[in-house]
Amino acid sequence: MDALDLARTQFAVTGSLHFLFVLLTLGLAPLVAIMHTRWTRSGTAEHERTVRFWGQVYVTNYAVGIVTGLVMEFQFGLSWSGLSRYAGDVFGAPLAMETLVAFFLESTFLGLWIFGWGRLPKWLHLACIWAVTLTAYASAWFIMAANSFLQNPAGAVERGGRMELIDAAALFTNKTLVFSFPHVISAGLFTAGMVLVGASAYRLRRGGEDAAFFTRSMRTGVVTAAIGITLTVGYGYAQFGGIQEGKFDGDTMAGLPLALMMEIGNLVFFVAVFLMLPLVRFLPRWRWTHRFLMFLTPVPFVLAICGWLARELGRQPWMVWKKLTVADAMSPGLTPGMITASLVGFTAVLGLLALTDYALIARLIRRGPRDLDLGAAEERPAPALSY
Amino acid sequence: MELIWYAVFTLLLSGYFALEGFDLGVGLLMPVIGRTQETRDRMVAAMAPFVLANEVWLVAVAGTLFGVYPHLEGEALFGLYPLVVAMLLSWVVRDAGLWFRRRIDGPGWRRFWDVMITAGSLGLSFGWGVALYAAATGFGSSLLHPMGLLLGVVVTLLLAWHGWTFLGWRAPEAAGITRTGRALALSGLAAALPALSVLGGALPYLLAQSAPASTLGVMGVMVLPFAPVMVLAQVWVWRFFRPGRSAVRTPSFF
Repeated sequence: MDALDLARTQFAVTGSLHFLFVLLTLGLAPLVAIMHTRWTRSGTAEHERTVRFWGQVYVTNYAVGIVTGLVMEFQFGLSWSGLSRYAGDVFGAPLAMETLVAFFLESTFLGLWIFGWGRLPKWLHLACIWAVTLTAYASAWFIMAANSFLQNPAGAVERGGRMELIDAAALFTNKTLVFSFPHVISAGLFTAGMVLVGASAYRLRRGGEDAAFFTRSMRTGVVTAAIGITLTVGYGYAQFGGIQEGKFDGDTMAGLPLALMMEIGNLVFFVAVFLMLPLVRFLPRWRWTHRFLMFLTPVPFVLAICGWLARELGRQPWMVWKKLTVADAMSPGLTPGMITASLVGFTAVLGLLALTDYALIARLIRRGPRDLDLGAAEERPAPALSY
Repeated sequence: MELIWYAVFTLLLSGYFALEGFDLGVGLLMPVIGRTQETRDRMVAAMAPFVLANEVWLVAVAGTLFGVYPHLEGEALFGLYPLVVAMLLSWVVRDAGLWFRRRIDGPGWRRFWDVMITAGSLGLSFGWGVALYAAATGFGSSLLHPMGLLLGVVVTLLLAWHGWTFLGWRAPEAAGITRTGRALALSGLAAALPALSVLGGALPYLLAQSAPASTLGVMGVMVLPFAPVMVLAQVWVWRFFRPGRSAVRTPSFF
């Protein structure tokens, strides 16, 4: 492989890893916020247990979302400095705003939410998780706006060999943004719903004392997944009105992931809306369905990666559609040796962390809602004291 | 407009060193003063509520660099390619150490991630010294230039001292010393000094490198309304997690 292929592979590997974790974050954040709202209003121990358990799944998943995101942010400058030279005056703006307006607040409020447990006034504590949810959505919106600019460079013109921003409104109402953003957000909800369903199915199948807890979680999951997949499919089809001409024509490699996503997506839509949703009252008791429900858990993740591949491979060979090729966007002077070293480093470290993180989430689900770290009071033996 | 964004950029980068500087410092000191697992747990617990609010300053620096100085962004990051990759991996490993260390009970697991926290903090602190020297010389010098390596050592020691001051303020029994909030502010200023002097020297260059007025204007209009919320959120962190706040002693998540 030459430097270009290696640089593209590095972006695809780190980007896919990042997306797997971000997708679940986007879906779980509003669910945890709703659970927290119910706890704040009712004050019951059962509601608190629900927030702490799914909240800990959420933050455990969040950890790898952050660290893979750090790598993504710096990769533009590392491997694709041609992009910032040509279109940085436009493309840089939504990324800058994402870090300042969205992620800066998201991280600060998440810290307040995690470490402010039992210290913050309860309504302020609740406001923190809603702020995290809102800013996570804002973050997705800015990132999708930046990506949409690459798909369809609206609101900018080329002057003197560089892109210049002339219409910010057009940048943020890009026809490739308006339906792709809700598509991704709904896919996140579907994913989170299916994770709730799969985890609850595992626990209910095994039996044990937390049946009531996971019965409720499974119902929440089924309803969320049904709403999520309906919106995902709807906004998915709506996107075809705004796609660049010729994107999926010819022999682009984007056709296969696109077809996979649509075929399997339609199938799980029928399963979720016409089987799981009507049977939501019975599913927790029907143990024979649980193995199948567990088997469905990875499906949303696979579909999301297919969708991302379709969107990005469909843009080839363009970095900025019909303006700048990927080959021209690569940092001049980037050698295969440099990129191989960083590719190996990032893949090994982030890959191991991702596996570790999934093992931790699986362990958390296996142990169930007890001895949780998130929001722990003095119930654990020999705690490290923080004051 | 160029001057305003220069001020924002300077504030973000020096804020990163003053704030995240003590988190890195605590990480550096873990093998030095954290001889027992209990002391290390206390050190991490002392910085834990601040880390997420602190490290994000560098994310904001990178974003602002891309938005305000897009041409410099490509040049600087690519010019320092191996260093940036090493620093990114250090950052990733440090963060993973914090998130993972308490997720499984067991001395081996926690000790392993504590070593990762220290290794990551060391890579970042030393890397910053080398990066600042390279920036001061216009990315023309070798990354192994003795002056750069020397600055790496200086920054590492500076941040370790800043971290020690922080511990003296928030967890005196773990640090073995007691420091006031004023001393912490001073060591924070000292930690930001190397970055401040590089940015000060680069003022005319950066103003000339700024993105066009139209881009800066749009970012200003969209970011400015949120500035009060950003300040408020940061102030809350310091309000709620200052020492002695709340008599309830809770186990730390990190």
